[in-house]
Amino acid sequence: MGDTVITIIAIVLAAVLMFVFPLMTMSDRTDDVSQLSVETATTEFVDDVRTTGRLSIDKYNSFVQEISATGNSYDVEMQAQILDENPGKKTTQAESTKIGENVYYTMYTSQIMDTIDPQGGTPKTLALKEGDFFSTSVRNTNSTLSQQLKNFFYKVTGNDTYSIAAEHAGIVTANGAGN
Amino acid sequence: MKIQNLAVIFVIIMLPISLILTSYVQNQVQTIELQISYDFKLTNATYDALKAFQLNTINSGTSDLSNSKIRDIEASVNTFFSSIAENFNMAGYNKETLQDYVPALVYTMYDGYYIYTPFTNTISDEDAGATYQNGEKLYGLKPYVHYSCRYVKGSTNVVITYSLDNCITVEGIVNGKAVYKTGYLIEPDNIIGSGDNISYRHVPITANENLQENVGFYDNTTQTQATIGNYNYEKIDGVKYYHEGDHWFSMLNNEKQTYPTTTQYSDTSNDAIEYYTNAREFTDWVRDNLGDLTTSDAVDENNNSLADVYGQNISIFGNDQGSADAIEDPNSLFNQHRLSVIRYSIEKNLSIAIANYNRYASSTSANFQMPNLSETDWEKILNNVSVISFMQGLSIGGKIYNGYSIVTNTKTEEVVNTDSIYIITSDGNYHRATDQDLIGNNNITGAFSNIDFERKSVTNGSSTTYYYPHTELGCYTSIVNQTGASVPDNIYEYMEDLGNTALTRAYFTALGRERFSMYRTNPITTEWN
Repeated sequence: MGDTVITIIAIVLAAVLMFVFPLMTMSDRTDDVSQLSVETATTEFVDDVRTTGRLSIDKYNSFVQEISATGNSYDVEMQAQILDENPGKKTTQAESTKIGENVYYTMYTSQIMDTIDPQGGTPKTLALKEGDFFSTSVRNTNSTLSQQLKNFFYKVTGNDTYSIAAEHAGIVTANGAGN
Repeated sequence: MKIQNLAVIFVIIMLPISLILTSYVQNQVQTIELQISYDFKLTNATYDALKAFQLNTINSGTSDLSNSKIRDIEASVNTFFSSIAENFNMAGYNKETLQDYVPALVYTMYDGYYIYTPFTNTISDEDAGATYQNGEKLYGLKPYVHYSCRYVKGSTNVVITYSLDNCITVEGIVNGKAVYKTGYLIEPDNIIGSGDNISYRHVPITANENLQENVGFYDNTTQTQATIGNYNYEKIDGVKYYHEGDHWFSMLNNEKQTYPTTTQYSDTSNDAIEYYTNAREFTDWVRDNLGDLTTSDAVDENNNSLADVYGQNISIFGNDQGSADAIEDPNSLFNQHRLSVIRYSIEKNLSIAIANYNRYASSTSANFQMPNLSETDWEKILNNVSVISFMQGLSIGGKIYNGYSIVTNTKTEEVVNTDSIYIITSDGNYHRATDQDLIGNNNITGAFSNIDFERKSVTNGSSTTYYYPHTELGCYTSIVNQTGASVPDNIYEYMEDLGNTALTRAYFTALGRERFSMYRTNPITTEWN
């Protein structure tokens, strides 16, 4: 009788050790690799936008495609801060960089998508100018295998349970409208 | 064997594998993260360098002269290195240490480029002194390289220098005659009329324009606030002469230069008319004398044909411009050839500079190689004045860093691009020429180069005053936020299609005027017999 119990426990342990443990480690590494490629793609995307000053639906789509290739679904949030120098220009002794005299107004993902959405088939571009800021953050929305396995052992709850995330931002260095 | 033993053996095998794999992947992640952060820092440092160059040139009255330009570039190089030092947390390290990782910095200009890289100084022994020795390794700007190409055909043997727009310089023997000519290439059929009645693409060009802008100056060194006034001006060779009462003055490095009343300039500018008339004459001359030149005639310094670089038998200046109607169109055969000349020249000199760097770099054993620049990067370089920086040899864990960064300068006096013209409307705003609001708008009051809307400063040593030459505000649909501006492939055709309107008249006139009055190094047009 005692032997049977020990054997069952041993089989369960062996199963955990031989299947679940390697699976967890491997899925963790998969997430690491996804994290890596998402981070690289995000940086390249943001740097491309900020050095050309242009965001088109093609650029956005190829970025989304690149991160989706990791097998997860993502939530992409973009933000463009547009510098308005006009308030600073209204004073006589203008100091264009003075904080408070210039304002940044912000365009968020939905506004950016509205601008670059090709209506009637004509491709449209969001042009940014020198001095604006552009940032993008990416988070996975599905639960990856590693997350599922972890949830099996210990429950992680809440809305912000993401394991792959990347963020990049920077100042725009070129005028997008032009040649 | 018991099943328990099997499990133990399994764990013994799996545990090290998983540990090693974990640390390997961690390492890779760190390398990539480091590379990303280095790329970011390099771009920022390059942007700082460009910003320094931009600020220095906008606020200097002599920035277009080459010795002053070299000074501005050297200041910009210093900014780059101090920014690199700050960004890489290496503050305290001096320029000399960091130079070992920067094989080259390239400043592309209107008709050529500077490369900042080490070189071996060669001077004759008797000239060697305390400052420079023969054979010494120096960092600095190498001589200016023009975007030029040599062509040999029959009795024609010329070097043609291209630029970022459709201006070319022809030097050498054309059909047996020595020639030195500079001019703009514009399809002569597009320019109709004579005297003050010139039209370009069926749009009449405004003659005798009256130009005004604000200028600030100090009358003496004790004044705390500069006098800012609005004056009529005439721009000649990049210098603006302002009309004040019975005399004229110009600004030279913050000082007001007043001319005697015997020196008079004109209150009206006919530069746009001159631009189109000269361009028509020049293009006709080029067609008559060099019209049969093809890409097969291009040779290098050793007279070897460059046909495999530029292609076989493609006409450069001929009447047939391929799919384009006019020689100035962006897709014309001339423009395609121009871009490949610029690209070949930069690529060749830069790869030599970077490969040679292996002989100079002392503190690193990295093998310096020119990275492969992408097509979008080339597009940026070929259309704008820009700064390209390279950084190599820093160890980033798994590999050696090899990165580059390109930042373009759209606010420069160097070149008047087709998108450098801003249009002023009577509601006190300025717009991009392609702003949709301008179509059918009759309240257009003027058009100027985009740098005239930038803030300028004037100083008398103790106090500084800032002012704007044009005080209009940036339009919210095309300047602040650029969603209302279209980006046409060919702005000439875009304007032509709009017909004879206030916008097209203002645009073509301003483009001609600003191009004609900018400073250029080869303004001479001579032909010897």
